[in-house]
Amino acid sequence: MDTFLQVLASGLMLGALFAIVSIGLTLIFGIVKVVNFAHGEFLMIGMYLVYLITAKLGLHPLVTVVAVAPLLFLVGVATQRFIIQPLMSARDDHIQIFATVGLSTALINLALLIFGADIANTPPGGLRMPIQIGPVRVLLGQMIILLASAALVVGLRMFLQRTQTGRAIRAVAQNRAAAQLMGINVNRIYMLTFGIGAACVGFAAAMVAPLYPTSPTIGTYFVLTAFVVVVLGGLGSIGGAFAGAMIIGLIDSFAGFYIGSDLREVAVFGVFLLILILKPSGLFSERLNLSHVSP
Amino acid sequence: MTDTTLDNTVPAARTSPFPLKKAAALGALLLALLAAPIAIGDQFISHIFITIFIFAGLSTAWNIVGGYAGQLSLGHAIFYGIGAYAGVMLMNMGISPWLGMFAGAAVSVVVAVAISYPCFRLRGPFFSLATIAFLEVFRVLALHLREFTGGATGLMIPLKFGWEWMVFRDRTPALLIAFGLLVVALAVAWWIRSHRLGFYLVATRERQSAAQAAGVNTVKVRLIAVSASAALTAFIGTFHAMYLTFIEPAAMFSLTMSIQIAMFALIGGLGTVIGPLVGALFLVPLSELARGWLGAQALGLHGFVYGVVLVLVVLFMPNGLMGILSRYLGNATPQRGTQSASVAATPRAAERPPIGNDILIADHLDKHFAGLHVTNDVSFSLKEGEILGLIGPNGAGKTTVFNMLSGFLKPDSGSVKVRTEDGSWQAPLTPGDFAAIGVGRTFQIVQPFAAMTVEENIMVGAFHRYRDVNDAREAARETAFRMGLGPWLHAEARGLTIGGLKRLEVARVMAMKPRILLLDEVMAGINQTDVRRAIDLMLSIRDSGVSIIAIEHVMQAVMSLSDRVVVLNSGQIIAEGKPQNVVRDPHVIEAYLGKEFTHAQA
Repeated sequence: MDTFLQVLASGLMLGALFAIVSIGLTLIFGIVKVVNFAHGEFLMIGMYLVYLITAKLGLHPLVTVVAVAPLLFLVGVATQRFIIQPLMSARDDHIQIFATVGLSTALINLALLIFGADIANTPPGGLRMPIQIGPVRVLLGQMIILLASAALVVGLRMFLQRTQTGRAIRAVAQNRAAAQLMGINVNRIYMLTFGIGAACVGFAAAMVAPLYPTSPTIGTYFVLTAFVVVVLGGLGSIGGAFAGAMIIGLIDSFAGFYIGSDLREVAVFGVFLLILILKPSGLFSERLNLSHVSP
Repeated sequence: MTDTTLDNTVPAARTSPFPLKKAAALGALLLALLAAPIAIGDQFISHIFITIFIFAGLSTAWNIVGGYAGQLSLGHAIFYGIGAYAGVMLMNMGISPWLGMFAGAAVSVVVAVAISYPCFRLRGPFFSLATIAFLEVFRVLALHLREFTGGATGLMIPLKFGWEWMVFRDRTPALLIAFGLLVVALAVAWWIRSHRLGFYLVATRERQSAAQAAGVNTVKVRLIAVSASAALTAFIGTFHAMYLTFIEPAAMFSLTMSIQIAMFALIGGLGTVIGPLVGALFLVPLSELARGWLGAQALGLHGFVYGVVLVLVVLFMPNGLMGILSRYLGNATPQRGTQSASVAATPRAAERPPIGNDILIADHLDKHFAGLHVTNDVSFSLKEGEILGLIGPNGAGKTTVFNMLSGFLKPDSGSVKVRTEDGSWQAPLTPGDFAAIGVGRTFQIVQPFAAMTVEENIMVGAFHRYRDVNDAREAARETAFRMGLGPWLHAEARGLTIGGLKRLEVARVMAMKPRILLLDEVMAGINQTDVRRAIDLMLSIRDSGVSIIAIEHVMQAVMSLSDRVVVLNSGQIIAEGKPQNVVRDPHVIEAYLGKEFTHAQA
């Protein structure tokens, strides 16, 4: 029983990790409608920034969020402005996929060029301390990720529901042309959304870096799972991404323990494919508008 | 072998994707590519050329799915890996890779069909994500099933040399085989592109529903494309495994490689026959040399350059190197001219054939969209040689009725029956069934195959009757001139005005020579002169024995064309009869203008 609880707890912690990485992706995917294959590399950039700031300046990793999130915001805005925006009117979305794949390849290799292939360990700042909750044991940093991802979900939802800018973002997501006719500067909204999506990853990086070693290819480890989470949760649904991440975390954890750790990915991707084929709107989709499925 | 396959191109057709001159140029290029490394005789140069041939072949195979059919697979390494593992595993059992190749291809085809069939309804990026997920599953399974695949340690091939085993001490035989595989891939890609299948694939890519309406079995053509692509990829995978002499899951089922394959095609020119070859020719030496020169000094530099080049290509030359080449060679798009030239005056048949018996029956059609009752017990019939007008205010359910009459929507209850040529009655279900039985339709919101020329658009319809490209082209031209589209035969459909697109819509369906024609607001948004000409055209179509149902808001057309009119309002038929009588029906006036108007008149 204790083992079961421990596996459950590990699954939830893993879920929280996937959630905090995926929330930004679902925002970009759901609103700008661009598949950002470079999302993982944004995380990688964030983690290296956290590493640099903590290692050079001796700051606590969690403090770095005030610098890393805004920097990533700028990275996101620049990506949208200079790579995605010129392609928004492209004939088909293939083109955008290749652009972000190219960006991803370039960023991975840029990191390789600058930092080498060795892993960089961010000072944990006490976040690797285990804490005992009843029969289960988790890391302090993992608990913080869980709380932070929940806070991020609530915060983003409030922003999208309550503020004028948030309403504009939702309007653009639903109908770009109509939003434009209502006087919304669509390009600005896209840049803002992309920036916020990237900033979410910067926020995540400050919490992920102390627990996971940073390497140029760390992003690829996360990005596929993040896509699984986003599709599972329903495109653009922030709450859905959180729930989807928890489900994937649990599947990963339980499959790893009960089926075999080398088959975890088969379980995760198997579930992903089933959802994609059987219920492409995702489990928690808020909208019925499925531009990605033929009638 | 090259020459015979390539010289068979059709010289007459101007827009054939592969005219004679180009074929000769390509043949010369290929021979030069083969001759150069043999002449130089250097091991490293030969290795680079073998790599070029292999990647060009893989990319050409990918292009059949990713380019022609527009299904952006990023999991193509699955088939490459299957080919490689099949070859090596069978060779370890003493079976020659020449046979292993076919075993790998057979497995690949089965896997390709099983993977693609459920994924075809996914669009764009979602299809890509699904293929990536499948690739990951294959990689993990290859790692897991150690007793067959050797797991992470990989598999070595037994050292048996000679043609029989596809393994050589010298590079030249490998060069020949790689070249041969590339030629096979190019030949298959060329064959598909220049035959009906290729047109159908591009049409499906551009507009799935319009392709279905033109009688294209969109699932079947894409499955054929995927199968051909998977088989070719597996062939090359087997050979590459023999060339590498060692395989492991991470290298065989690699996402990076899948992306690379797709990238060569993109940079060369997506959907063109030789684009992938051009892309590989340009990039493989670049990356091999960069790896050699830069790799030692700066880890990651060549990958960085690679990524940046990809982004720049996408941003500044989305049509790839082929796009630049064709612009440079002066294959500019033909001049457009004004598009106001109207429908050619059609000589009317002296006498219209008499109206015959029922040819299509809509029987108690009921359809709900969630809570909305879109059509409520709609029944009517169309008689042979008749023009039936279907009118009604916006939202009455006219287009929904059309969708049920052409198989795009299944009624909740009720059925559509069509009389076949031999007089028996059938109840077709899918758009393909309807097209096969002779029901053609247009779409209210025009659905051109934007990337195809006007001629090619109409050819997609003509292929319904003709298998052969030249016959279809001739029929398409004839139809185009009849519809007044003659001057724009070679213009891309995306450049037409709305009037031109409406005519193209009709031309495409006319090229199918349907017995029953469903026209959805073909006169909306065109000018008065064109309306009059369109009316003449419809009459001449009717006189040639076609039965027509037309949804129309242009009353001038409805009144002068229709033999009978059915009025639909809120999903119900509220009036039916001769046009003169129907427009005086108080129910009809009320439906269009409201109760107040009826009272005021009374």
